[in-house]
Amino acid sequence: MLAYAIRRVLAIIPLIFAIATITFFLMHSVEGGPFDADKPLSPATKANLERRYGLDDPLPVQYVTYLKNLARLDFGISFANNRDISDIIKERMRVSVQLGIAAFLFATIFGLSLGVISSLNQNGLGDYVGVFVATAGAAMPSIVLAPLLTIAFAVELGWFKVLSTDYGFTGWFQGDFSNWKQVVLPTIGLGFLPMAFIARITRASMLEVLRQDYIRTARAKGLREFGVVMRHAAKNALIPVLTVLGPIFAGLITGSLVIERMFAIPGLGGEFVRSVIIRDYGLIMGVTVFFAVVIAVMNLIVDLLYGIADPRIRY
Amino acid sequence: MTRSKWRLLLSMFAVLAIMAIAVACGDDDDDDGGDDTSGGGGGNATPTAQVQKPSGTITIGATQFETWDPHFSDFAQDITHMVYVWRGLYHLDLNDKPQPAMADGAPKVSSDGKTYTITLKKDLKWSDGQPLTAEDFVLGIQRTCNPDVAGHYQYILTNIVGCDDYYAAADATPAKKAELQKAVGVKAIDATTLEIKINEAQPTFPTLLALWPTFPAPKHKLAAVDAPWPGPLENVYNGPFMPKAYTEKATMELVPNPNWVGQPVGVEKVVLKYVDDPAVLNQAYRTGEVDATVANKPELDKLKTEFAKELYLYPATRTIGLEFNVTKAPVDKPEVRLALSQATDRTTMMKVVFKDANTATTSWVPPARNGLKGGEYDSILGFNPTKAKENLAKAGYPDGKGFPELTLLLVDSATNKLLGEFLQAEWKKHLGIDLKIEITDSKTRSSRFNASDFQLVTGGWQEDYPDPENWFLGLWETGGSINKTKTSVKALDDTIAKAKFNTNDEERRKLYRDAEKLLLEQANGIAPLFHTLAAMLVKPHIKGMVENKRPGDTFVPGDWYIELWTTSKK
Repeated sequence: MLAYAIRRVLAIIPLIFAIATITFFLMHSVEGGPFDADKPLSPATKANLERRYGLDDPLPVQYVTYLKNLARLDFGISFANNRDISDIIKERMRVSVQLGIAAFLFATIFGLSLGVISSLNQNGLGDYVGVFVATAGAAMPSIVLAPLLTIAFAVELGWFKVLSTDYGFTGWFQGDFSNWKQVVLPTIGLGFLPMAFIARITRASMLEVLRQDYIRTARAKGLREFGVVMRHAAKNALIPVLTVLGPIFAGLITGSLVIERMFAIPGLGGEFVRSVIIRDYGLIMGVTVFFAVVIAVMNLIVDLLYGIADPRIRY
Repeated sequence: MTRSKWRLLLSMFAVLAIMAIAVACGDDDDDDGGDDTSGGGGGNATPTAQVQKPSGTITIGATQFETWDPHFSDFAQDITHMVYVWRGLYHLDLNDKPQPAMADGAPKVSSDGKTYTITLKKDLKWSDGQPLTAEDFVLGIQRTCNPDVAGHYQYILTNIVGCDDYYAAADATPAKKAELQKAVGVKAIDATTLEIKINEAQPTFPTLLALWPTFPAPKHKLAAVDAPWPGPLENVYNGPFMPKAYTEKATMELVPNPNWVGQPVGVEKVVLKYVDDPAVLNQAYRTGEVDATVANKPELDKLKTEFAKELYLYPATRTIGLEFNVTKAPVDKPEVRLALSQATDRTTMMKVVFKDANTATTSWVPPARNGLKGGEYDSILGFNPTKAKENLAKAGYPDGKGFPELTLLLVDSATNKLLGEFLQAEWKKHLGIDLKIEITDSKTRSSRFNASDFQLVTGGWQEDYPDPENWFLGLWETGGSINKTKTSVKALDDTIAKAKFNTNDEERRKLYRDAEKLLLEQANGIAPLFHTLAAMLVKPHIKGMVENKRPGDTFVPGDWYIELWTTSKK
């Protein structure tokens, strides 16, 4: 397994190189550059700016320079605000990771519970409620859900805040819970769709497992129902769920444009979209490469987890 | 699966979560450190003549600035921040007249109008207690002219001796650059006396000394002219407020600058909340999370009834129109341009497309600037289907027959799509022509516009400084540096040239009025459609957010006069 893991880690390097190359040339082939301002700049200013950021070099030269810097993990500076791109990614990531983990925990805990409860009450009231929530969650994208949450729970009921500019849990570890009104709605807003997804998969998987012979055997030998469900059924039903948890986790911690915009959270998702809109080349490259690494690593971890969850899988 | 494997699985999840949290928490120490440095500077100085103690906090909705460097930036939201915390030699008053800020009285101007001598107020200090001297103002102007800083607004200082030469010397040796830096016509005679030399006597020059490209640069904070500009918590300030805490994309806290020498400020703290979406800001206004903010224009109808007494609508000096590339058929023909303008019912457009968030016009220069009432060009460019048809026939396309393909380039937005559909319908109905619409993102649109690769766009101008010259120079002269419509009218060129350095103010203003007529009488380059309105929401407990006539109001009314804000809320 170690050899497999090392092989996979090494394979990430050419992958990153390929992604960096494709992104670099795609990005430069898109019409409009960082200094095509709404209010045109004078030619002298444009020339000085392009020189300042090395955009006056021919494209292949820029590409080589970029790769050299990338190898040193130097993403360069943002054209918009002259800040170090690594700093920008680090700051935004801090927020996105916290939001992602909270939403992931919310989605996993409630998704698994709903799924298990539904499967145990198949075609009963518990099942109908579970399926309803799961279907509603899947049918309602965050762009619809988020404003609804804001209107209902922040504007009308006043339980929570509209702006979550101080989103995060770092204070909580020091006993400062003052921002609790800012964390609830975004967490639910982001976690609802994956929760619905997890609930559906858990329910289907559980229903299948519960019909297996060994479950009947377990019941036949007189085990308590709780033990049967938790130790024998749920454990095996979890494998398909595990398959989706990895990508879900990667997706959640890399930021969400919609949730960040609707709740004014300074995360990476919004930054990524903005970098493309304003053609901040360095930032586009930095965030793309960073996302690629995160997703590659998450996939690797999930693959390794399979082996642990399912002894039949060998590397 | 064995129990030990389960443990391994669980522990791997735990490790992942801990790693992620560690990443998340890792920077906290840095942030705290930043706060400490900023706090240190403020405490040791004594406030000057304070009439009443500032009280209360005002929280406003704001847009994250791009850069903190006044000698570099040209973003409206950046400039708004800058006038909160820095001030130049002069500051524009409510009537857009430059009044002494750091300067002690009006500049002494030599008889040829080319040398300005300005005395600074006595004992000026930066927010950290260091003296603010004439040298700092010299450095500020040198930074804007520096080719490596690559300031967006260098063009504003092009009349300062040596500024253009310095700015063009990007590839020169460091020694040559140092020489050119010295040659820039701005000198500190002594600690409180500044001398600026300009190429041509320029009546609007004092106004430029109130703008961000001429703001002082703290010499004690910058190792060299092109050294990186310190961030909000590391920098020093000479304006009414200064940042005390700051988290990018989230929030900034401004507190009074103890060394501010202007009118004493009214509030203890101003909190800026950075929010991208005006619709979200309006929700936050409803819950009282922000006390003042821009109004979300698409919701204007609703806001007018919901917040009848808290909604402020006032003209921003910005004009948008149909911009023609006059070198491309069919809009190279004046009759076609006039026909398109006359076939456009602006009044209906304002209602249907913009929900009255803008005001219809046929003028280029807003009434606040050209001294006219507005409506002077209605008879030439205004809605008149009969005339429009006649003009189109004159151009050789009776009832639209044989009219070549015409494409309108628009930036992707709900309002713009509506605008495109409105124009399509109007021109089909009144002229019998088919308009093609091309929707792009804003950078693509700008890139095409800047390369003059278009037939028709919607666009215009937002004023940089309050003078009619800002509505013409570089924009409409043949070969002007930002003349992307390729407008070229001999009489217009001559008139602008005559007006540019005319020291007789009355004559100068009249010449610009003439220039506007020459521009519009054949819709050269543009047929104006509307002036935009600023729409803001302000809670009744706030006073002093006074309106000026500039588009400087980016977040709330009276952005340029933060010192006047007060609140009765405790």
